Amino acid sequence: MSELPRRHERGGGSGLPQIGRRAFLGGGLAASLSWCAGLRALPASAETLAAASPERFFSRSETEILTQIVERMVDTGVPEAPPVRKTRAIETLDQLMRHADPAISGQLPLVLALFEWGPFVFDLTFSRFTRMTDAEKDASIRAWMTSSLTLRRMAFTALRNLAFLGYYSRDETWPLIGYRGPLLARRTP
Amino acid sequence: MIDTLQDHAGDLTLRADVCVIGSGAGGAVVAAELAEAGRSVVVLEQGHYWTAVDFTQREEEMLPRLFEESGMRQTVDGAFTILQGRNVGGSTVHNLCYCFRAPDPILRMWREEHGLDELTAEALEPSFARVEKNLHVVPIREDEVNRVNQVVRAGAQKLGYSGFVTKHNRKGCVQAGYCILGCSYDAKQSMLVTYVPRADRAGARIYANARVDRIEAEGGRARRVLARIVGPDGEARGHIEVKAKVVVLSAGAVASPDILLRSGLAGSSGQLGANLHLHPSVMAAGIMDDAFEPYRGIPQSYYVDEFIDLERDPHSGYVLMPISGFPVLTSSLLPGFGRDHYELMRHFDRMVGLLVLLHDESAGRVESGDVLAKPRIEYGLTEKDRRQLAEGLVHCAEVLFAGGARKVMIPTLPEATILAPGDDLSVITRRGVREGHMPIASTHPQSTCRMNGDPSRGVVNAYGECFDVPGLFVADMSVFPTSLGAPPQITTAALADRTAHHILGRWKELGG
Repeated sequence: MSELPRRHERGGGSGLPQIGRRAFLGGGLAASLSWCAGLRALPASAETLAAASPERFFSRSETEILTQIVERMVDTGVPEAPPVRKTRAIETLDQLMRHADPAISGQLPLVLALFEWGPFVFDLTFSRFTRMTDAEKDASIRAWMTSSLTLRRMAFTALRNLAFLGYYSRDETWPLIGYRGPLLARRTP
Repeated sequence: MIDTLQDHAGDLTLRADVCVIGSGAGGAVVAAELAEAGRSVVVLEQGHYWTAVDFTQREEEMLPRLFEESGMRQTVDGAFTILQGRNVGGSTVHNLCYCFRAPDPILRMWREEHGLDELTAEALEPSFARVEKNLHVVPIREDEVNRVNQVVRAGAQKLGYSGFVTKHNRKGCVQAGYCILGCSYDAKQSMLVTYVPRADRAGARIYANARVDRIEAEGGRARRVLARIVGPDGEARGHIEVKAKVVVLSAGAVASPDILLRSGLAGSSGQLGANLHLHPSVMAAGIMDDAFEPYRGIPQSYYVDEFIDLERDPHSGYVLMPISGFPVLTSSLLPGFGRDHYELMRHFDRMVGLLVLLHDESAGRVESGDVLAKPRIEYGLTEKDRRQLAEGLVHCAEVLFAGGARKVMIPTLPEATILAPGDDLSVITRRGVREGHMPIASTHPQSTCRMNGDPSRGVVNAYGECFDVPGLFVADMSVFPTSLGAPPQITTAALADRTAHHILGRWKELGG
C-alpha cells in the first residue's frame, strides 16, 4: 500500500514521531520504531477512510486503528447510539491533531502503533488489535487500563480521552446523555 | 495594540521600559498599572488572542484554544491533570470566578514562617481594593444560585456544615453556564475584558503567540527577553528580542520556573521550581431523581468551608466546591470505558458534582523538559493529604445524599464506587485516594518561585523581585510561599498590583 504524505514530512520534524518520556518507552526505542514500521503495512478499511487526503493528520492505517479504539471506548450498547463511523468523530480528532502543537500530537502515532501491537507485545497473544473480536478488543483495552506500567496506563488515558472528545463533541451523540447543546448557534459547519 | 503576529514575517526587535511575560491574573495587572503610569510596556503572551466571538461554547473547539496542551497537561506519572490557560488573559478567561482575598491566617503564617513581615492585610488592602473594583467583584445574588449549588447548599445546611454564597467577578451574567469555555457574552470580568484593554489603551504593545525562550542578564540585571513567534501548529515563524530595563515574569507556576531555569537565572537558593503546590481536587457526583440541566447557570456559587480551619491549622484542610461539566469534560472524569462508562454517562443530565479542593502540604517540582513549553512536572501526595482527600469524599457523599441524591458515584479506577443512601461510606476511606487510581485535577499550580524573607529559602522577596537578579520580578501564583488554601485569582492580581506599584516607586533606580 502506498502511504500518503504524513504530518512528519511537512517540515519541522525528523520524519519519525518524537518519543518523549511521556509517550511510551516501555519497549525501548528500537522496538518502538520497528512497531511503527510494522504499522505502515496495515491494510486500511475502505469504509472508514475513503476520504484520506494529504491534509489528514493520521495515515489510513492509523485512522483505522483509532476508529476501532474509539468504537470500543464509546460502546454504549444502546441501539439508537450513532455508530462512530456514521459520526464525524474521527474527522474531528484528525482536524484537532492537524492543528495541535507537534509537542502534543507527535506522540500519538507511536501510541496507536503500540496499541495495535500491544496484544502481541504485552499480552503474548498472536494477534493485533484491529483483527480481534469486540470482546478481545475490550480485554486488550482493559489490560492497558489496569497495567502496572504507568506509561501504559497513561497511553490508555490519552486514547480514552481522545475517544470521548471525538464522540461526545458531536451533536448527534448528545440526545444519548440529555445534553441540549450550546446556546449559541453554530457559526461554522 | 494587540498583535497576534500571525501575519508577521521575519524577526522583531523591540525596546521597552518593561517587558511583561504573560497576560493572566498577574501579567495583565502589571502591564496595565505600569502602562497607565507612563512606562512603555511590551507584553509577550505565548497563547493566542481569542475574544468573545471566538468562544463557541463547544468543547472540541475551546479546549485546544484556551488550555495548555489542549487540557491534557499532566504530571510525569499521569496522575494529576493540570488545567492552565494559554491565551491572552490566561486562566482568568476559563476560571469560574470565585473571588477570595488571601485568608488572614495564611498571611500571618507567611509572615511568621517565611519572614514576609510586610505582607499584612493592611498593607495589601489598597491592592485588593483596586483589583476588586477593576474586576467588578460583587456578591452572587440568590437568584443566580443554580440547581447544582442549591443541592449542595441544602445538603450542607441539613448536616450543619458551614458554607456560604461567594463573591464573583461577573457583570450582566446571562447564566449560560459556559464559563469554563470562555464567556461568549463578555460578562465574566476576566483580564481579557478588564486589565488587558486598559493596558492596550495606555499604549502597551501586547503580542500574542510569542513564546519566551529565555531571559538574558547583563551586568547582573535582566536586560533582554528572547522569544519565538509560534503559529497555531506550534512551529516557530520568527524570533522576537525585547530589550528592557525591567522584566516581569508572569507566565504561571509551571512556565515561570521553566523560563528561569532555561535562562540559568534566580536559582541560587535551590528553591526555583521546587515547592510546587497544586490544590489537588477529587470529585464525587450525585445522581438526582429528575433530569435537569446541571450545566446551565453559574457553575460555582456556594462554598463549603466546614473542613478548613486556618486559624487552628494554616497548613491543612479542604473545601468543598460544586461543579458541573459538559459532555467531553464530564466523560473524561468518569472511570472506565465502553458500556461501563456509558452506564455512568447516561446520568449526565442529572449529575451534581462536588469537588474536594485540598490545601496541600504535599509538594512537587517543575523542571525544564526536552521540548520548549513542555516542562516536567512532578508531584506526589503525602499520606496525610491522601487521607484528607478521602475524608473529603466521604463528606461529599454525605452532602450529596442530604441534598437529595439517590446515588453517589466516586470515580475510582478501574471501576466506579457507586453508593446508595444508607450505605456505609467508610468504603471510600478504605479504598482511599491514591495517585493513578482516581482522576485528580489541579487548576491552581503555585509556589514554584516562592517569596521568602531569606534569600537562601526563596526565589523572590516580598515584592516579587528575584534575589539573584535585581530588576527581574515574578508576578503570578508561583510567588505564593505555600498553598493559598483558597481560590487564588484575586490574591494573584493583588500581589501583582503591589509589585507594579513597587516598581513605579523605585523607577528612578530601576529605570536608569
